[in-house]
Amino acid sequence: MIALIVGALIAVAAAVFVALPFLREPVALDDDIAGATPENERRLALMESRDRALAALKELEFDHRTGKIDDVDYRALVGPLRRAAAESLQELDRLSAAP
Amino acid sequence: MAELGRAALIVSFVLALYAFVVGSVAARSKRRRLADSARNALIFAFFSTLIAAAILARALVQHNFTFQYVAQHTSRDLSTVYSLTAFWGGEEGSLLLWLLVLTGYAALAVTLNRRLLRDVVTWVVPVMGGIATFFSFMLVAVASPFVTIPRVVDGAGLVPSLQNPYMVAHPPLLYLGYVGLSVPFAFAAGAMLSGQTDERWIVATRRWTLAAWTFLGFGQLLGAHWAYLEVGWGGYYSWDPVEIAALMPWLVATAFLHSVMIQERKGMLRVWNMVLVAFAFNLSLFGTFLTRSGVVNSIHSFAKSSIGAWFLGMVVVSSLFSTALIIWRLPLLRARTKLESALSREAAFLYNNLLFVALCLTLLWGEVFPILTQYVDGYQRTMGRPYFDFFLRIFGLPLLLLMGIGPLVAWRRASGRALLRTLRWPLGASIIAGIALVSIGDGSSRPGLIAYTFSVFALTAIVVELVRGTRATGSLFELIGRNRRRYGGYIVHAAIVLFVIGVVGSSDYSTTRERQLAPGHSMTVDGYTVTYEGLSHSLSNTVSGSSVTTTAKLAVTGRMHLKMGTSSIDSSALGISRMVGVRTDWWRAEDLYAILDSVQGKGPTQTAFIIIEVEPLVNLIWIAGFIFLGGSLVAMWPDAREQRKLATRLSLARA
Amino acid sequence: MARSTRSPARLIVALSVAGVLAVFLVYTALTGTTPALQPSNLVGHPGTVSLTGKVVGQVTGDAHNPTGLHFELHNIQGKSPIVPIIYHGSVPDLFESGRDVNVTGELVGGSFVATALTTKCPSKYTAQV
Repeated sequence: MIALIVGALIAVAAAVFVALPFLREPVALDDDIAGATPENERRLALMESRDRALAALKELEFDHRTGKIDDVDYRALVGPLRRAAAESLQELDRLSAAP
Repeated sequence: MAELGRAALIVSFVLALYAFVVGSVAARSKRRRLADSARNALIFAFFSTLIAAAILARALVQHNFTFQYVAQHTSRDLSTVYSLTAFWGGEEGSLLLWLLVLTGYAALAVTLNRRLLRDVVTWVVPVMGGIATFFSFMLVAVASPFVTIPRVVDGAGLVPSLQNPYMVAHPPLLYLGYVGLSVPFAFAAGAMLSGQTDERWIVATRRWTLAAWTFLGFGQLLGAHWAYLEVGWGGYYSWDPVEIAALMPWLVATAFLHSVMIQERKGMLRVWNMVLVAFAFNLSLFGTFLTRSGVVNSIHSFAKSSIGAWFLGMVVVSSLFSTALIIWRLPLLRARTKLESALSREAAFLYNNLLFVALCLTLLWGEVFPILTQYVDGYQRTMGRPYFDFFLRIFGLPLLLLMGIGPLVAWRRASGRALLRTLRWPLGASIIAGIALVSIGDGSSRPGLIAYTFSVFALTAIVVELVRGTRATGSLFELIGRNRRRYGGYIVHAAIVLFVIGVVGSSDYSTTRERQLAPGHSMTVDGYTVTYEGLSHSLSNTVSGSSVTTTAKLAVTGRMHLKMGTSSIDSSALGISRMVGVRTDWWRAEDLYAILDSVQGKGPTQTAFIIIEVEPLVNLIWIAGFIFLGGSLVAMWPDAREQRKLATRLSLARA
Repeated sequence: MARSTRSPARLIVALSVAGVLAVFLVYTALTGTTPALQPSNLVGHPGTVSLTGKVVGQVTGDAHNPTGLHFELHNIQGKSPIVPIIYHGSVPDLFESGRDVNVTGELVGGSFVATALTTKCPSKYTAQV
């Protein structure tokens, strides 16, 4: 008998919990799963590439300091990486400045 | 009460199905409230499963024999702890544990990521819902733990060999690992289904994958230790199909942990990573199928059961689904960058991946070969130990070498000269070590010698890396703090190398002697003289029957001076089992292992057949396990910088 | 971005796969596999085989004596002839009549001469009530 009641309670609780989003907002003005706005998406992507370029630069410096890369290779690799980082930073600034 | 348990599982099934079906609809049509509703269903499924689990646990502890499961796996004289461990001692209970861990992980994963990865999570919900639907269906319709029987006086009990602390820890740890692999899989599927195939899903599931991998690895090590102490043949691994079933997903997960680093850095290997994570998850399902279906001969004999066919079906469906998904999203996944040099850390990761996967595939072939030959020839043919040992060496030794080279080679493009300069220490150390080892006689095993020198190479490389890094940053602590993942990883590498040394020492350089001895006589094994002093007997009577324990008393001199015993237990219920005697020389990490094989004769002419094994370095294996855990913890440790980045991303991700 | 045709990655992968396959083929050509049989299909397989069955009847003798341990195997499930086994070596835990075991050896005359013997862990997953 108790088992029956408890079982029914669980089922009811489950149903309520599942229906909760609809009970809270019977009418939703905005039911779309909006991710980030396109602008924020672009900003996110730029932040990722900036972070990646900066991390790669840091790695390069560290590898150079610990002797895994000699000076010749270091000079060859550091230029493009710095440029890539600078580009992302500039893009990000432009995005923040833009209206 | 059983009725309530069954009802709770039915609720779980309905909720999982809802999460699966409705969740897919909501994700497809991008409806927020519907998606939230599906997510709630998945979360509540955990709670209803928890209720079912609690009911079973209570019945076990209370010895409620109206539950058929309780009657089959416990008895009145079983202690509370072992009554509880009987939860996963049987098929239905272990399925319930799977579902509990699965829904628990699912609830946590979708809750933690609901805002950051909204579009991905809307697809993660139906994927995990689908997996949960399968398991809850099995529990409701095929293998229910809540079957009732007329009350019996006493249950069948738990086999004595399973009544030890390992039974408490080994299965749950493995399950936490197996089931844990479903989280990165679900997120990978979610990423592909939502079209968000960048690195966000990897970053979000990184610690999940690491945790699951750690549980799976440590769980297997516990199993090996259990076998070593309990089963009593002096070994700890026998390439049994059930053992291999756990090793395969672990190898693939190891490859995955490495290759995601390449994807995070360079956006490469995205297809490969999807394949790896799907492969790892499907292997854990496949492993469950192999273990439970009785299809292959195993020393862990599990009866042929009907759930095997269901599991095979699930593996097939899941594999087809993963493959179709990857093929569909191939255009999105194509790499935008390429490997710059065959001599770079990225390339080293690629080589290590290839070796791990190759090893896994050879193991898989060895596993399924008997099944295939059954269909072709009508009888099973097995590969046997030599096959597995051979390929472990062929792929494992280069991996050992790579563990040394990898940390010392630069990203993107390494200078050959710089690399050789960096490698001179490890190379020198390994050559010296090799010469030293040959001079003390370790040349007797060529693979063993190679493994030892490669191990020295790898360990020296790790030390060099740590020394260089400390010099560059100022303190070791700060070095590790700057990049916990990497240095935690190096600690894990060191653990693996120690593990290898332990395995090689105890496999390739162990000594075994067996002799029939009369009291007072002795035998010499390696650096020990073991004298058999005589027998002692003890009798015990329990509810399940009586048993006689015969202990051979031994006096040991030589490298260690001590007394020890080794016993044979003759129980009326189960026949003869042995309690081996093990003594450890911690300075050498060596074990002296004694087995009482049999006793012949009576009275003054009585003799005992004693087997003595000397296992060099075997304890390094278990010590390595703890270092492994430590390294994993360091790698998983929360990072303040990363948290800040995540917070920024979170605020941007909200519309 | 134009995809470079020079990425070493593809070459590495292709060479590795070829290498693995080569090692594999050589290995399986040189060494054999062992048939895993039951008493019902033992006949007709010369050489070393692995035999799995249930120990039936009486167990006599001593595995450490020259005469060896004598017991009989029957299929675990279903009908089968009874195969007499002679074993020399260490007797593993839980070995007794009624247990499922695995032996490795050869059929010599009418008996199976075994060099290895393992017992299966008593099953945790069968209904034993």
